[in-house]
Amino acid sequence: MNTLRGLSPALFGVGVFLFMGAASLVALLRYSDVSAWWGYLQQPYLWRVVRFSLWQALLSSGISLLIAVPVASCLMHRRFVGRALLLQLFSVSMVVPTIVAILGLVVVYGRTGWLHQVFGVNVPLYGLTGILLAHVFFNMPLAVRLLLQGYDLIPAGQWRQASQLGFSRWAAFRWIEWHYIKKALPGAFVLIFMLCFSSFAVVLSLGGGPKSSTLEVAIYQALRFEFDLDKASFLALLQVLICTLFAVLVYRLAPVNRQDASVLGQANYSVRDSTGARSADGLALLSVFVLVIPPFLAIFDPIFSKVFLQTLQSFALWQAVWVSLKIALPAAFVSLLLGVCFSVLARFCMDRAYLSRLPAKIEHLGNMILMVPGLVIATGLFLFLRDLGWGLQSSYWIVVWVNAVMALPFVLRALMPVMYQQETRFRNLYLSLGVRSWSRWCLEWSLVRAGVAQALGYALLLSLGDMGVIALFGSQGLVSLPLYLFQLIGSYRLEEGACVAVVLMSLCLVLFYLSSRFIGGASHVKH
Amino acid sequence: MLNIDLQYSWEQFHAHYQVDIEPGMTTLLGGSGEGKSTLLHLLGGFLAGRGVLSYQGESLLPLAPYERPISTLFQSDNLFPQLTVWQNVAIGLSRSLRLTSEQQDKVQWALEKTQLVDKTTRFPQALSGGQAQRVAIARALVRNKPILLLDEPFSALDPALREEMLYLVNEVTAELKLTTLIVSHLPQEASLVGGRVLLIEKGQVSAHEAVSVLSQSDVHPLFSHYLGVSDRSTKSPE
Repeated sequence: MNTLRGLSPALFGVGVFLFMGAASLVALLRYSDVSAWWGYLQQPYLWRVVRFSLWQALLSSGISLLIAVPVASCLMHRRFVGRALLLQLFSVSMVVPTIVAILGLVVVYGRTGWLHQVFGVNVPLYGLTGILLAHVFFNMPLAVRLLLQGYDLIPAGQWRQASQLGFSRWAAFRWIEWHYIKKALPGAFVLIFMLCFSSFAVVLSLGGGPKSSTLEVAIYQALRFEFDLDKASFLALLQVLICTLFAVLVYRLAPVNRQDASVLGQANYSVRDSTGARSADGLALLSVFVLVIPPFLAIFDPIFSKVFLQTLQSFALWQAVWVSLKIALPAAFVSLLLGVCFSVLARFCMDRAYLSRLPAKIEHLGNMILMVPGLVIATGLFLFLRDLGWGLQSSYWIVVWVNAVMALPFVLRALMPVMYQQETRFRNLYLSLGVRSWSRWCLEWSLVRAGVAQALGYALLLSLGDMGVIALFGSQGLVSLPLYLFQLIGSYRLEEGACVAVVLMSLCLVLFYLSSRFIGGASHVKH
Repeated sequence: MLNIDLQYSWEQFHAHYQVDIEPGMTTLLGGSGEGKSTLLHLLGGFLAGRGVLSYQGESLLPLAPYERPISTLFQSDNLFPQLTVWQNVAIGLSRSLRLTSEQQDKVQWALEKTQLVDKTTRFPQALSGGQAQRVAIARALVRNKPILLLDEPFSALDPALREEMLYLVNEVTAELKLTTLIVSHLPQEASLVGGRVLLIEKGQVSAHEAVSVLSQSDVHPLFSHYLGVSDRSTKSPE
């Protein structure tokens, strides 16, 4: 009874998450004419969109992982100047506001971009190539981070043995690393696939027309321009169906990912180095420097222009900053709270043999939100609240809530591994000493705060950069920085837009730093 | 002969080990935190020390762990859980696991020696603690390094099994003429394996004697404090 009472806040949090999701879907379906759905299935346009969505998502996730595996291995084994900075950059790049990153990509790969100016190379940026470049820019760093989490699970004893037995890098990869990362790969693949499959702003900006359209863009068009709820809900359900089928298939084929019971701290036991290993690492790092670094640098290019200072004096800019903060801060905290609720429930289940399968299911439940387009949840929620008597005044809270739940998969990715680790390490000790709920948090805070800070940082950045829900609900008085930027670009004020992108990016970096510094604490906490 | 004159510092702990060790069994005795495992980690190359460490006249200090003529068995994490028993032993000979027929015979010999022939396809998770440590010993055997370091690898085993493992180590040490150093908390274990004992206190070798010193009726003055402590810690309250 005591246990259930201690668990009630977590149950409440997860319950609210499920209720809101279900309520918005039901509200949307109530406004739909299901009988018309058969007609949509006959449209060749729909199948073209589905084919392209699948194709670009498969290619994007495949390429991202193909590059990420050697990069993660290199970062695991090598210590070099700038490594920590690169890892920080990787943490940020996957949550860089899409619209800002797209601007960076245009500056580097566009018709008059850096690549053309320096090498005379023209990249067909609008179409599949541009979409792939943008998706790899966002997701390859994410894949590296996920794989490095897998590396963290390798017990130090294995590296010690590898060092003693004189393993080469290849032998270490084959006999040790691969065993762990192959378990992380399916999860990473599904996550990236879903992110790319439901990609919105990238496809809208770089798609280059209906030939390269995805389901998410089709949903946006149905909602924004046709206000066809029927079509939108049909497309949304189709997207959920495809993503679910894909996820189930991958997870069925994937090896079982068990937490290692003897998780030890990483010690610096080096394996045998060689010219081949150094060359492979050099190539891996080169791909990072080509694909990720230049768009980042390009974002900050306008800082030296005259227009930059003029843009800073604009009242509309600071109003947009205020709106962005007003959305991002509560959304991030709600997302973190939801993440904590999920992790508390998962830990509770880990502890009990008869519930041992549930932690993975709970995590999947949180990740399921990636399958559902944010636009659809927002519209459903709007209809649900309108039925309850709340009209447009609920827009702000809808934007906050949808941003919070859309960031949840990232929050869980950052939070769950550290939570599982604490549970595995201290479960018996807690049981024997009777340490429960809040006391556990107090004891573990120094060990989990880095993970909490990372989760909050991700949620902050994702909410700050949202260009999906705000595009639908943004109105006079609710114009966030990305929407303001989008409006500037739409009215061909590109130079001013690039300066706003710098402000948005700087805001992201400052908030991420503050979160890491003040919540994450000093990095030398002994585990 | 293994010549040791090594210094090592970590925070408030300063160690300086000076001793020459001959082939055969040597047991490292000493209380907790006195620096026994530190010495083994320095010898194995897992910690960087200053000074002299040589074997048969060749300096070992500049060598990486895998280049040293040493095999080390730790308390835990000696095996790769993702490899079978056979693979765990074979990887001591070939990192690609592509073995010549001669190497395969060697693996077979080591598995027979450690009575693991019927467990070759099992994974470490399916082995008992004693069997897992025997796999680690089998790998040390195929590596054929003249120095064997054992950092309390049998401490988690029950007394009968521990005794069995010590006999096995003793047997291979004699047969292969190894220089074996074993860390132990129990003077009885040193008496069981014979050879010599090293007493480590505050990061220094305070005594290096034949094992018979432990069974003398008049306790050796250098060991009196340790044995007194040891007696208290091993006797049950009456």
